[in-house]
Amino acid sequence: MEKKIYILVVEDEPEVLDSIVRDITEFEAFFPVEMADTAEEAREIIRSILDEENEIGLILCDHVLPGDNGVELLVEMQNSEETHHTRKVLITGQAGLQETVRAVNEADLKHYIAKPWKKGELISIVRELLTDYVLEFEPQPLRFMQVLDGERIADHIRTSGKLTDS
Amino acid sequence: MTKMKWTGLILGLIGFIMPLIVTFPGLSLAGHFAMSIFLMAAVFWMFETIPIYSTSILVIFFQVILLSAEGFITYSGADYTPLPFSRFIATLADPIIILFLGGFVLADASVKYDFDKSMTRLLLSPFGSQSKFIILGLMLVTAVLSAFMSNTATTAMMITVILPIIARMEPGDPARIGIALSIPFAANIGGIATPIGTPPNAVVIAALNQQGVDVAFSSWMMYALPLAVVMLFVAWLVLLRLYPPAVKNVTLNLSGKLKTSRNAVILYVTFGLTVLLWVTEGLHGIRSSIVALMPVAVLTLTSAFDKQDIRKLPWEVLWLIAGGIALGISMKETGLAEWMVGAISWDQFGYLMLLSVFGIVALIMSNFLSNTVTASLLIPLAISLVTSGLLDGVAGMLMLGLVIALGSSFAMVLPISTPPNAIAVSTGMIQTKHMISAGLIIGLIGLVLILLLSVIYWPFII
Repeated sequence: MEKKIYILVVEDEPEVLDSIVRDITEFEAFFPVEMADTAEEAREIIRSILDEENEIGLILCDHVLPGDNGVELLVEMQNSEETHHTRKVLITGQAGLQETVRAVNEADLKHYIAKPWKKGELISIVRELLTDYVLEFEPQPLRFMQVLDGERIADHIRTSGKLTDS
Repeated sequence: MTKMKWTGLILGLIGFIMPLIVTFPGLSLAGHFAMSIFLMAAVFWMFETIPIYSTSILVIFFQVILLSAEGFITYSGADYTPLPFSRFIATLADPIIILFLGGFVLADASVKYDFDKSMTRLLLSPFGSQSKFIILGLMLVTAVLSAFMSNTATTAMMITVILPIIARMEPGDPARIGIALSIPFAANIGGIATPIGTPPNAVVIAALNQQGVDVAFSSWMMYALPLAVVMLFVAWLVLLRLYPPAVKNVTLNLSGKLKTSRNAVILYVTFGLTVLLWVTEGLHGIRSSIVALMPVAVLTLTSAFDKQDIRKLPWEVLWLIAGGIALGISMKETGLAEWMVGAISWDQFGYLMLLSVFGIVALIMSNFLSNTVTASLLIPLAISLVTSGLLDGVAGMLMLGLVIALGSSFAMVLPISTPPNAIAVSTGMIQTKHMISAGLIIGLIGLVLILLLSVIYWPFII
């Protein structure tokens, strides 16, 4: 079985969660989307994805959550070997400067999306980050070419020698 | 492991063991071992139980153990004199492998210095802005590049060129499909034009060399280039007919600059000189495999091509070809190939009929299998047909070889047929059904043209 690459969305307000997931539906057929409304639930989902030997390619995470906050979750993921390479994005209205700086320094935050976001912007960020991830870690990036940045994937095949004449 | 791979593993093992248990009348002991290796390789290659290059390596390994003078089996009879083991491992340094090595170094260096992209910009500029001529231009450029570089890398590069063009077209424009199909098709067709265009050519040429038939770089081009040119136009017309562009003009945005660093210039000069020496082999007589050492030497001594680049070369393709060459050697030397073709009474077939059979089989097989594997499995049989006197000498052998090499390159019906096809389908611009219909038409026309050439053209220039 080819391993699956998941997108994890963590957001406590149901309407906001819905709207994020709706905006990124075009990726869902290739990157299954999992949803959590707290950091605790996110941890459980992460565990079960990893237990099935799949990966989390991208997390879109709100900061203010009941219980542990988003930045804490991201830092924790950064420090764990299995989720170290997951591309991490904060999608929030209320993260203060201090927490944001912590996310950048300690969780290698790839993007900060301020609410309210534009659909086009969200899609292009997701596309670029997933392309980064796939080019770095996926042995057969070709299978994701049609939903990701096709030009970058084609150029990667041209230069990497991953695919050769047979 | 998938079910498919398990099936392959079990069938491969059965194939390997069977000749060790069953005695076939008229076949030598060595022939039985050669058959074990052949059956195992054929099954493993077909089911891809293990990567196709590992099957090739396994072939050489078993040949050394079972068929060489230094191996574990002592041959005493008169029907097989064991070959030195060096003969099997020397396939890795066969002249054709060295030719490919030279080609790989040039191709990878071209990618490193974006020479392929610069060439594309240069070659595309005369094609204006009319949709149908842009498509023709894209196809010509793809074919020219893939005649000297890998079909796969050329396709990948051209996909980066066409994606922005397609993105600017209306979603319903049929030409989107036509353009997306034109690239892999042109790459497959371009590969036939030169000996280094694609690996099946290598397997065929090496097998002919073993028989003492030398094929000069320029001679191959004389045999195959006219077909490549005609097929390119055929493919273009077929695609225009099936997927006519909805708008008359498309914009081509060719940005980028020719690199002018010291190393890039060294590459341009070396590339130009090598290709010039290759295509003029008929005039000066310096073998193409000797010429091929020149770019390797020049590019490495100037550090235009460094240690990292050498490591990145597609070595597994060279192993794949070497295994194909080695398989041919053992099948011929042990008498297995002759025994196999002896099972069918070929004399009832006419000469053209025989070429057609091999052409059709090559075309069908390589739609499902690797083109190199197809050529590796068919060429030993074809060669023995000739050596056993059923076909007319050198010319017959050459033509049969051409039919096999060209036939396997014209297989482009499915995404799995060739890596270029796989890339094109992965863009999401086309579906498999589009590829099947266009690929079938082009493959069949290609086959008819190959057979036509074997009647009206090749006999007069060989």
